[in-house]
Amino acid sequence: MALLQISEPGAVADQPAERKLALGIDLGTTNSLVAYVSGGDVKVLPDEQGNVCLPSVVHFGVNGTLVGSEADALAISAPHDTIASAKRYLGRSRAELASSGYTKLSETGLAFETSQGPVTPVEVSAQLLGALRDRAQSSTSTPIAGVVITVPAYFDDAQRLATRQAAELSGLNVLRLLNEPTAAAVAYGLDSGEEGVVVVYDLGGGTFDVSILRLERGVFEVLATGGDSTLGGDDFDLRLVDIIRDQAALGALDAAEERALLSCARSTKEALTTASEIEVKLDAVVSGGETVVVTRQQFNSACADLVNRSLDACRQCVADAGVSHIDQIVLVGGSTRMPIIGEVVSTLFGKEPLNSIDPDRVVAMGAARQADLLIGNRDAQDLLLLDVIPLSLGVETYGGLVERIVPRNTTIPVARAQEFTTAKDGQTGLIVHVVQGERERVEDCRSLATFELSGIPPMVAGAARLEVTFQVDADGLLEVRAKEATTQVTASVIVKPAFGLAEDDIAAMLRAGYEHASEDMHARQLAEAKVDAEQLIAGIQAALTSDGDLLSDSEREALETAVNGLVEASQNNDIDDLRKSIDVTGRASELLAARRMDRSIKSALGGISVATLEGEAES
Amino acid sequence: MPEVAEGFVGAPKDYFELFQLEPKFDVDIDDLGERFRTLQRRFHPDRYSSGSAAEQRLAAQVSADINAGYQALKDPIARAGHMLELQACDLRTLERQPVSGDFLMQQMHFREAVELLDPSDDEGKSKLAAEAKALMTAELLSFQKAIEKRDYELAGFAWVHLLYLQKLNKEVAGSSDLF
Repeated sequence: MALLQISEPGAVADQPAERKLALGIDLGTTNSLVAYVSGGDVKVLPDEQGNVCLPSVVHFGVNGTLVGSEADALAISAPHDTIASAKRYLGRSRAELASSGYTKLSETGLAFETSQGPVTPVEVSAQLLGALRDRAQSSTSTPIAGVVITVPAYFDDAQRLATRQAAELSGLNVLRLLNEPTAAAVAYGLDSGEEGVVVVYDLGGGTFDVSILRLERGVFEVLATGGDSTLGGDDFDLRLVDIIRDQAALGALDAAEERALLSCARSTKEALTTASEIEVKLDAVVSGGETVVVTRQQFNSACADLVNRSLDACRQCVADAGVSHIDQIVLVGGSTRMPIIGEVVSTLFGKEPLNSIDPDRVVAMGAARQADLLIGNRDAQDLLLLDVIPLSLGVETYGGLVERIVPRNTTIPVARAQEFTTAKDGQTGLIVHVVQGERERVEDCRSLATFELSGIPPMVAGAARLEVTFQVDADGLLEVRAKEATTQVTASVIVKPAFGLAEDDIAAMLRAGYEHASEDMHARQLAEAKVDAEQLIAGIQAALTSDGDLLSDSEREALETAVNGLVEASQNNDIDDLRKSIDVTGRASELLAARRMDRSIKSALGGISVATLEGEAES
Repeated sequence: MPEVAEGFVGAPKDYFELFQLEPKFDVDIDDLGERFRTLQRRFHPDRYSSGSAAEQRLAAQVSADINAGYQALKDPIARAGHMLELQACDLRTLERQPVSGDFLMQQMHFREAVELLDPSDDEGKSKLAAEAKALMTAELLSFQKAIEKRDYELAGFAWVHLLYLQKLNKEVAGSSDLF
């Protein structure tokens, strides 16, 4: 989606562009936040009551949809219509949803059955994103040009894709999916300006992530990342539920009482961060409920195995990163407020954690910084982030074994080519099953998608050489291309996601949402396409001026013809024609873009020495 | 079921050229890191987030090449493999060539020593680690000599030995503490 920029006719082209607005969104399991950069500072935006945390709860009731604390208030009285912790189910299978505790699941697909019909985790997340967008938009008149949404570093491809789909569904332009620990490190890195190795321990409501990063000369490089996508603060709540249940000898509870008990456990956990023991009054949970005493010591021992799981992941991550020392520890996520976490982490790394930024806000703040940078608001202290893929990508081969294509902790973007061949004479198609995970056997990894390659020229078995390129972009999302090497025939790739929603489902949901606003939609799309066209024309003209010598006369002529066609198309109001022309012109410009890139690679390292590097940062 | 064909695709890119370094085995790691960061600062897709679709695609491709090149040159054993690839050696074939009986005996003896090691014997552990490291250093040196003399057959043997030693080093290190 393009930015709408209105410029004065005859305005000087190179005058400094107006600062654009982009949001950083922390889409959390239990709470979500939104922030943006304004006047150089990060603002985390509160709601009308002054709360910055939006409970990640959506109520789909007969009388309409409610988001946040209003929805949360109905969690006990209407548990089936009120969806909490939807992030746990993003990109997950029906079987995984079934173990969610929501007893009413849709018969047809991966959805919760509510009074408004089946609702997918993607739609729940879209509601949360929409509410945060509205919160941000109500505080500024500048239109929101894009967002950076954070995801747990340990999210796999399906979970990342589902997050992107939620944003698409809420009409947001996603600049980047950013890993939560990386965002937190950015928030601290920019504040302290220090260099060195940072470990980020991120215990959220539903996931645990650990990352090790090195900041050096303005480049933040993720060295390794790990974690446990099924470990979170919620698990600690459940341990406390068990303690209280045992102490008070509670019998069978109904759904509403269970919710009340859970919410009682949460407030007990919060109270135990400062108190060493606390009286829990259960009369609000069940009628005639007694009062019991719970100690922090009791809670800590009940959670020892959970804490140890997180420490094991930390040790593995240190080994993967291959670092010999740690300079800083950053704690992220409300669950790190539990005193036991700070204690064990300092013991493990032999350092006191940094705590100058609120652990609830730090992720949204880092995301806002990155969003501001990606939208083009550059300044001198530009930071570059180099992230990694959290889980290995592989394909299924003979015997249900996994052939690893991209190992975990490989810096992204990454492209790896792998050759495949046919097993039978005259075989014209091939099915490639892509999985993600660290285990040897396919059944122990997570199935991501099946790619069907067709249109292979018939040859004897083993003669066809299919080059399949697996490309992981800077969002950590996978793309696959394939061609037959001896004949150069491009085989078509059909993606069938194993989980989540297909592209068609998203398109249908978008259509349904926009039906009432189709007039506006059309006008907006046309205006955006015209801006796209203008930007493309301006870009090509600038490139021709500076590097026109890279093209032969005939190549230059072909490009100019395409540009002229686009100028003409952008004067009409036929959106399909305009889009086609943008596509044609974009392709025509690829040759020049490739040669310019080549030229600048050659000049980039010209006369390099460490002493001159300081001044090389501009791009 | 797809069959995974032998080897990776196409002619290898020359990463020494990409980083504008002399194609020598001896690489200054700090300098390489600076070159890597300088290139990424310029070509990472984040730098083209408001550019055209063609520019963004190209940036992703170039950035992926820079990442791959850094990985290939940073680690001496990967670098050795890359240098052999640049001489049109097929690494998968090389990997399967038999090693000498003497080398195998030495490896087996070492493995045994690692297995028999008492986990609390820190002194024994560091002694073994130092020995394994010394073997690695010697083998890296013989690779360097062979490649300088353009003796790619000998360099190939040294590279295979390095793969064995890499595994050995991991096993020795595997039993040690966090830092």
